[in-house]
Amino acid sequence: MDPRAWRRFRKNKGALFGGVLVLFVTLTAMLGPLLASHDPNEQFRDTLIADDGTLAGIGQIAGHLLGADGIGRDHLSRLLHGGSISMLVAYFATALAIAIGTFAGITAGYFGGFVDTLWMRGVDLLLSLPFLLVAIALVRVIDDPALWVLVLMMALLSWTTLARVTRAKTMQVRELEFIQAARALGMSHTRILFRHVLPNVLGPIIVLGTTLVARMILFESALSFLGLGVQPPQASWGSMLQEGQALLDATPRLMLLPAALITMTVFGFNLLGEGLRDAFDPKD
Amino acid sequence: MHRRYERLGCAALALLGAAGSIAFAFFLPDPPEAPRWVGAGAQTPQVGGTFVFHHEANVRSLDPHVAYDELSGMAIRLMFDGLLDYDHESNLVPSLAEAMPAVSEDGRTFRFRLRRGVRFHPMAGHPEGRELVAEDVRWSMLRLMSQDVGSPGYPFYASIEGADAYHEGNADDVAGIRVIDRYTIELQLKEADQTFLNAMAMPFAYPVPRENYEHWGDEVKFHPVGTGPFVFEAWERGVQLTFVRNERYWREKPGPERMLYLENIGRELAAQRFRNGDIDSIHRQSPSDYRFFKTSEAWRPYMVEEPRGSTYGLGFNCEMAPFDDVHVRRAIAFALDREGWSRARAGRLLPASQLLPPSIPGYDPELPTRQVFDLERAREEMRLAGHPDGLPEPITVWITGQDDTSRQYGELLQSDLARIGIDVRLRFVSFAVYLTESGKPNTVPAFFTGWNLDFPDPSNFLFLFDQKSIHPEHSENRSFYRNPEVDRLLAEGKSERDRERRLGLYRQANEIVARDAPWAFLYYTLTMELWQPYVRNYDPHPVWSEDYREVWLDLPRERVARSLAGVGGPVPARFYPMGALR
Repeated sequence: MDPRAWRRFRKNKGALFGGVLVLFVTLTAMLGPLLASHDPNEQFRDTLIADDGTLAGIGQIAGHLLGADGIGRDHLSRLLHGGSISMLVAYFATALAIAIGTFAGITAGYFGGFVDTLWMRGVDLLLSLPFLLVAIALVRVIDDPALWVLVLMMALLSWTTLARVTRAKTMQVRELEFIQAARALGMSHTRILFRHVLPNVLGPIIVLGTTLVARMILFESALSFLGLGVQPPQASWGSMLQEGQALLDATPRLMLLPAALITMTVFGFNLLGEGLRDAFDPKD
Repeated sequence: MHRRYERLGCAALALLGAAGSIAFAFFLPDPPEAPRWVGAGAQTPQVGGTFVFHHEANVRSLDPHVAYDELSGMAIRLMFDGLLDYDHESNLVPSLAEAMPAVSEDGRTFRFRLRRGVRFHPMAGHPEGRELVAEDVRWSMLRLMSQDVGSPGYPFYASIEGADAYHEGNADDVAGIRVIDRYTIELQLKEADQTFLNAMAMPFAYPVPRENYEHWGDEVKFHPVGTGPFVFEAWERGVQLTFVRNERYWREKPGPERMLYLENIGRELAAQRFRNGDIDSIHRQSPSDYRFFKTSEAWRPYMVEEPRGSTYGLGFNCEMAPFDDVHVRRAIAFALDREGWSRARAGRLLPASQLLPPSIPGYDPELPTRQVFDLERAREEMRLAGHPDGLPEPITVWITGQDDTSRQYGELLQSDLARIGIDVRLRFVSFAVYLTESGKPNTVPAFFTGWNLDFPDPSNFLFLFDQKSIHPEHSENRSFYRNPEVDRLLAEGKSERDRERRLGLYRQANEIVARDAPWAFLYYTLTMELWQPYVRNYDPHPVWSEDYREVWLDLPRERVARSLAGVGGPVPARFYPMGALR
């Protein structure tokens, strides 16, 4: 990486803070299942009502740090497992979207002509579709969606911006002397694309990719909140939002904690993405 | 540098907004904890005032021949009367009929004598209303049975002599319906049917005036005319319906001057408005509100929580593997920790052990074949089924709705069945899809299901497992359960005139159904109803849900000062002029 970029990034306090947040959330997501004190799906139903039939607050229950949810599952363990699922989905979907978007962008930008038209009309088509509605329709059609189906669908709907930006950048790079030289030397297109074009368009990809993770987290949450994402009994932050809403008045914690985690994570990724953009692209 | 400021500005705005809404949420006055209004303390029933009630959805029709849902029923029962009705012990009592009908020796003929001087509400051509006569009853029954009207209630009356010929258009008249004189009508059945009088108490059989139907045609569902205690006034569709007191009602009945039925008020909103004193009675609560009312001392005198005539369970398609094996079905029935489910629903469910709910004759708490949570027996049944270690394939269970509640039920099921090695996949579908698909053979393997009574008789539940209820489409027997013994008991029960022997037959059928487990019975719901302190004489009806006919208002209501709410001392309404207007 350009050392000047790194220096600029280091000076940006907001970006550093975002980076720390992202690192923290990512680590927790990876280690979450190991840290959880209970099976996230085990239901401690006895804790929900006192033996004399009176309603125990769902809140403070011995042995459960953050209490239990509506059907007696350990809230902390679900938050940890849910985070790990949410982050897993977001990272994989982003990686896939980056792969598709970058490939589309550099081939479109480099070859131009028919290839360009093909990719870009595809992008136009996808952009003309209402994002969430398509997702809802797709999930409805696919009976019992597995996690990888969700990832695939989210990626397929999200690579468009990446493709456009990479294409623009590639069109700039294509005209540079060293590419001309490589071509004159008879290097194959594949080699030029991956050896010379790709490293030069990496900056915007990293920036966009970072903010894309944030969007994916929100996307997954929205789908799960609507009951279309992660399937029960698996937890994700989005599905926990859905489960918590009915008890919002009685036990706001059930909804507020996953909501706060989503907000924090998205905020972190966005700060980091902004900082990276400023670092790579210091024009203003 | 410019962009930095812009970003700072945005962040500051967002922060301000967030802080603002949090502050707003904190300082927004909570609805009062205790009733805000109390009655004036009248000792005798009063006339006057406006009673306000609500439902969550849209009323679709006010034509009693067509409407077949709870929320139109709430309106229709205010405006119409039947020949028969139920008292609060679920007994049939005469209403528009002078007395219970005379039944012939063979149990096939019923002779009703109408009460004299009953008048329909004012209608086109009759500004003063018109007297109800036997011909009205005949015309109403005929309309109900005609194919063109497509009434969902037709099957309840198909046992009348000549009904099918008329329904199929092969006759102009129903032979079994005869007007004897101005006030007498006779109904004759093809064979004795002990539930026929129950059918005659259903809203489908409410007499309606022919003139009104001829005047309005297809629009009649928006212009109801009946004989009931309230006269239809206006319907702002999707918003509210209003009814005014029927001054010419055939029986002395004090009550509100006006009824206001609010449509499309969700349960959370309704609870808030109820607590503020803007709605007079509520009947459904979100989990949060349920917990609030359940633990509230102040509301306790104005609340009842009772099981309703409904049973819920997990239905199995007995023709589809693995549920064609009775042992698998029984294993599941024994594996469901119904107490635990109830705990997870804040105690709102009454664990079910059999098809018949406690309010229905024939229910037996000591039923030998009752379904209970017993993990040992569940595992034993799995062994008998040849799956000691569980099922190799996951089962798919259909569940209606997509909200947190249905998800919770699904997760409770998954957790229970995991213990006997059954992996459950949930398929969330809309209620309409569930209704259509589960009525077809070999389509839906397992499904969350339930039954709410049409009338308080065991046959109205047990017919769900009659082979006669299996059709290529729209089967009521969604389990496709076939048992000749059950069919025989039900057929005998239908015509048996001795009440005890008849109940005995249904008890046997109930016992067999619990044993064979075409459903794993889960719970009977508890319905919590609340009303304002100034609402008097509201006693939730065991058959009709939200039946507000007998209510009267103790006005003027008086506002309880908030500082005294805890003490309960009423404060005169002097400074609250709106209070007296109610």
